Amino acid sequence: MLASLAWKNVWRNKKRSLIMILAIALGLWGSLLAGAIWMGWGESMVNTAIDRDLSHIQIHNQKYLQNKEITNFIPDGFRVLKETISVPGVKAASGRTLIEGMAASPISTFGVKIVGILPVEEKKVTNIHTRLIEGKYFESNDRNPIIIGKKLADRLNLKLRSKIIISFQGLDGSLIYAAFRIVGIYKTESALFDQSNVFVQQANLFRLLNTEPIIHEIAIRLQSSRLMPQIYNEVKTKYPNLSVQTWKEIAPEIAVTSAAMESFTYLFLTIILLALLFGITNTMLMSVMERIRELGVLIAVGMKRIKVFTTILLETIMLSLTGAAGGFAIGGITITYFSYTGIDFSAFASTMESFGASPTLYPFLPMSMYIALPLMIVITASLSAALPAWKAVHIEPATAVRIY
Amino acid sequence: MPLIEVKNLSKTYNTTAVPVQAVKNVNLQIEKQEFTAIVGPSGSGKTTLLNLIGGLDKPTNGSVFIEGKDISTLRSNALTEFRLHHIGFVFQAYNLIPVFTAKENVEFIMLLQGIPKAKREKRAIELLNAVGLSDRMHSRPSQLSGGQQQRVAVARALASHPNFVLADEPTANLDSRTAESLLDLMDQLNKDYSMTFIFSTHDPKVIKRARRIITLEDGAIKSDITVAN
Repeated sequence: MLASLAWKNVWRNKKRSLIMILAIALGLWGSLLAGAIWMGWGESMVNTAIDRDLSHIQIHNQKYLQNKEITNFIPDGFRVLKETISVPGVKAASGRTLIEGMAASPISTFGVKIVGILPVEEKKVTNIHTRLIEGKYFESNDRNPIIIGKKLADRLNLKLRSKIIISFQGLDGSLIYAAFRIVGIYKTESALFDQSNVFVQQANLFRLLNTEPIIHEIAIRLQSSRLMPQIYNEVKTKYPNLSVQTWKEIAPEIAVTSAAMESFTYLFLTIILLALLFGITNTMLMSVMERIRELGVLIAVGMKRIKVFTTILLETIMLSLTGAAGGFAIGGITITYFSYTGIDFSAFASTMESFGASPTLYPFLPMSMYIALPLMIVITASLSAALPAWKAVHIEPATAVRIY
Repeated sequence: MPLIEVKNLSKTYNTTAVPVQAVKNVNLQIEKQEFTAIVGPSGSGKTTLLNLIGGLDKPTNGSVFIEGKDISTLRSNALTEFRLHHIGFVFQAYNLIPVFTAKENVEFIMLLQGIPKAKREKRAIELLNAVGLSDRMHSRPSQLSGGQQQRVAVARALASHPNFVLADEPTANLDSRTAESLLDLMDQLNKDYSMTFIFSTHDPKVIKRARRIITLEDGAIKSDITVAN
């Protein structure tokens, strides 16, 4: 019955309550959507990085992490690769031969990472093949085909089918120069990646190096990112002498930024709720001041002050949760809609690319936020209720009944 | 043992520059089933005395004993609990909960007492029948006339099975016909249920019905007359 009294009191002044409910709903809607966009941004940064080159887990020779020398390849790398692919939960794995080198055109040179791949395997792990804006993904019969990024092509003033000179140090320390034919130009969300990574076929590299097949990196794609901790442990235990890292360790800045997006969302929500706190306090204070006589009568006839306090608290929580439900409903619908269609931020594409995010963001909110938010609202409502409820419990019944 | 015993009761308000002594050294006893009116001009201390007897205010000096228990020494929460179980209140302005129906208003007191739903519903219906509002149980106060609202207030006052009912100018806002009807009801309840009523009033209709009239002047008892039936 206390709850019933509280609920009926909420609707005593419909106009005032509706304005407050609307303010809460719109405030929450705005902050939920903004939070979802940030979360989508963070997710986009993570996903694009994983899809582009990181994959979920990578294996290296431990020395390679300190010194990216060509000689620091994974011992018996292809056996490790084969064994890794057979680990349950691993969707695919690609062995990469990595060499730091220079790319030169008739007008300029630029430092690049030469990534030697088996195109068929790499396709299963990353999505560079889908990001080609010109040419094909190693489908021609050209000698020494190469795929470069749009940014590098612009920098070196190269076009599709142009020749590019790649130079790098061989296993014996000798300098190797080779001409490659550009068969594809790709463009990802990261301009930095596009200007510094070129892809060639492993067989061509091995021929130029005059070596048996070697790989420096095994990129592992999992069936689900939820399996990452489990498979990471399994692989790490199996190869104690190799460096096994998750994408979070390889690119901590992305992991941190992604986590920061969640923190920003909570921070933004806290600011919005703090602003709402004052509005709710004001509304409830007005409501209490209008009912001093009635509350005084309730105390006079035997309602304990703790119950008066509880009633005001319940009223505030009900008012706030009603607004929150509205905010959740509108926010939920908006976020669900945009999570399918995406929000096109291509007008800010260059800014988005500098953060390594896709210009089309798919907003989402993690389940934890749907649990935390009602709690945050209840806490806000409880804080808002403190002053009005304090006022209510300090009413002197004799004075209230007589004077008000 | 008298139902109510007031001993050397005084109340001074220090809210203004000059302290105001609203009740001065009052001594009185009220027995069960009395129908007593405390009368006097405005400012004579009627309401203050009623508030002190009802435990709504603390005396400056003296004590109020209800069935031998000194309520002036009780702390705020204990006093609220005491009022809930022992005293019924009827106010001049009815003071019902506007968002509740008549039945819910009567039930609410019993809810505070922790009485189970079925039991309190039954009693609320009985009481509303007794005050002649069986057809207005589901009406809200705003849908009731002043007289009907005061009848609900009487039913609410009786709901907690109190030892006595304090009624502060209960007829002040009612027209004479409605006031007479309400007094008939209270008279009936006094006789049928042996319920003790103590009024503060300056309404001649109430004074005419009262079987004991205590007159206050400047906070002190000027006369205390028992009227023969």
